[in-house]
Amino acid sequence: MSGDATNGAAGPAEALPVAFRKATKVYPGADHPAVNELDVEVQAGEICVFVGPSGCGKTTAMRMVNRMVEITEGDILVGGTSVRDRSPSELRREIGYVIQQTGLFPHRTIGDNIATVPRLLGWDGDRIAARVKELMQLISLDHDLADRYPAQLSGGQQQRVGVARALAADPGVMLMDEPFGAVDPINRERLQNEFLRLQAQVRKTILFVTHDIDEAIKMGDRVAILREGGILAQYATPAELLMAPADAFVEDFVGADRALKRLALLRVADIDLWEAPLAYVGQPTAEVRTKLEGAEVPHALLVDSERQPLGWLSEADLRGELVPSRPDISPEPVVDRDDVMRDALSDLLQHETMYAPVVDAQRRIDGVLSVEIISEFLGSKQALAEEQPAVERPTAE
Amino acid sequence: MIPLAASSPEAADAANRCAPGLPESFCHQHEVTGCVGGNGLFCFDWAADNFDRYVGPFLRHLEIVAISVVAGFVIALGLALLSHRHRALVPPVLGATGILYTIPSIAFFFLLLPITGFGLATAVIPLSAYTLQIIYRNTIAGLANVPAEAKDAGRGMGMTERQLLWRVELPLATPEVVAGLRIAIVSTVAIATLAFLAGAGGLGQVLYEQLDFKTNIIMVGVLTIGMALVLDLIVVLAQRSVMPWRRAAR
Repeated sequence: MSGDATNGAAGPAEALPVAFRKATKVYPGADHPAVNELDVEVQAGEICVFVGPSGCGKTTAMRMVNRMVEITEGDILVGGTSVRDRSPSELRREIGYVIQQTGLFPHRTIGDNIATVPRLLGWDGDRIAARVKELMQLISLDHDLADRYPAQLSGGQQQRVGVARALAADPGVMLMDEPFGAVDPINRERLQNEFLRLQAQVRKTILFVTHDIDEAIKMGDRVAILREGGILAQYATPAELLMAPADAFVEDFVGADRALKRLALLRVADIDLWEAPLAYVGQPTAEVRTKLEGAEVPHALLVDSERQPLGWLSEADLRGELVPSRPDISPEPVVDRDDVMRDALSDLLQHETMYAPVVDAQRRIDGVLSVEIISEFLGSKQALAEEQPAVERPTAE
Repeated sequence: MIPLAASSPEAADAANRCAPGLPESFCHQHEVTGCVGGNGLFCFDWAADNFDRYVGPFLRHLEIVAISVVAGFVIALGLALLSHRHRALVPPVLGATGILYTIPSIAFFFLLLPITGFGLATAVIPLSAYTLQIIYRNTIAGLANVPAEAKDAGRGMGMTERQLLWRVELPLATPEVVAGLRIAIVSTVAIATLAFLAGAGGLGQVLYEQLDFKTNIIMVGVLTIGMALVLDLIVVLAQRSVMPWRRAAR
């Protein structure tokens, strides 16, 4: 992150904590509060996800932070200051705001869209231009697109621009209302991963609203599950939610497949992998056969001189004198050490295979993942009892 | 009217006599024979020779249209912005402008004659009143059609209501506003041909002075339609250059 936000009337570059203090919202004419005495502390630099069924007040709760919805009772502190003491428009300029349908201004270019808040803050032209360029780089969007209009971009690109626009004045807090809700599932996953990488760089305090528990578990450092009537059901890390749901509502909301969901919290690198007998091109097959005896994985994996997997050797491959250079069986799926366990399992199932080579960042073999390891993990008491940290975030390079 | 198509010298002579109330200068140009005397469909030579007489009324017509549309636009836009802030004003304003719109123009002129007298004002007041309904309705619709998420994003990023109006709502409502403006211009060009009844002149004056001469009728028609088309084209081109995002959206 550049330090240029410190030389003007920008929002605070430091992430700010957000504290809900019995924050309550009763809409005029409503019998019941939409949000009821919500107490949530969001640490600076963390992602807090509000999740729950429709009508649980999650969006209302989020919108109270920047006073898009006025608090009826209680208070919300941003960086220790009550939002009720701030003028709404000044407060909002210091809080990033991303909404589902992107809300990009169709009549303004991408560059102008990103420059919205800096213009409201009265930055000078050079500084705005530099900031726009920097942000387009940050969201890996070609700078040529700055002169295009939102309608000329894909949905995923528009969503990224929405995030860049919210980051423009380097706010201490970001509010994101179902930011990936309108994107197709494949792009959503990519955007989520990109966003987590981005967050590792910018370290904002983020309030994230979604109705999708899987997204909540993936994105949140902490997750607040709300039930109808705006009542907080549980506020905990994703792992805690999955292991110790506070009540039947949370258990039900998290879903019967919560053991499976826990796989989303784990990376392949987090568990003990198996070792496959390795074979090299031109090696005598007799040696490979010896290695195969009593090996954890009953197949030999052919690797090149860099230890990058080439494929599995079949019985037919081993019938000859020397190990052939073209193995019978493709090594796919090759799993990355940093992959989330759930994705790795899905890869295995998709390829209808028992084993997948696991590689490190240099694509060198690191071990073998098997369906058996995963099922053992799911069944083990250790899996349920042991305190699991939330999925470790990829760190900024 | 005395038919211009002369079949006998007497009839031709009669045709050469001026219609009551018309200036002499218009009458003695009628020849007994040829295109003009025979009141042909369009006498090109005559039109070319007499083009001058249309220039003044044409410019006057343009002036009436311009003043009426600009005045109507300013008033309608002002009313629209006011009722955008205070929604309760929408039905009464729509009703009032609707009533104005239904007053027949000739009646409107004669109602005003005792107050504003014979002249430009008496023509311009009804004509601009007619544009109000069209422009007001379109502006209100345009503002209502601004995507809710664009407004939400604008407010959420800290725009004041005024900033939101000028930076987001009005630009996004412009296509509808311009659509209304175009209808207003074209219909005003047409109705302004009656402005001479209020004593404001314009192309209607020339038309009325030789209502039985086909070439004259066609000249006035072509000039009126041409004015409407050119003004419309100017607005369309202006809109395109102001709103490049509209084409990008396609």
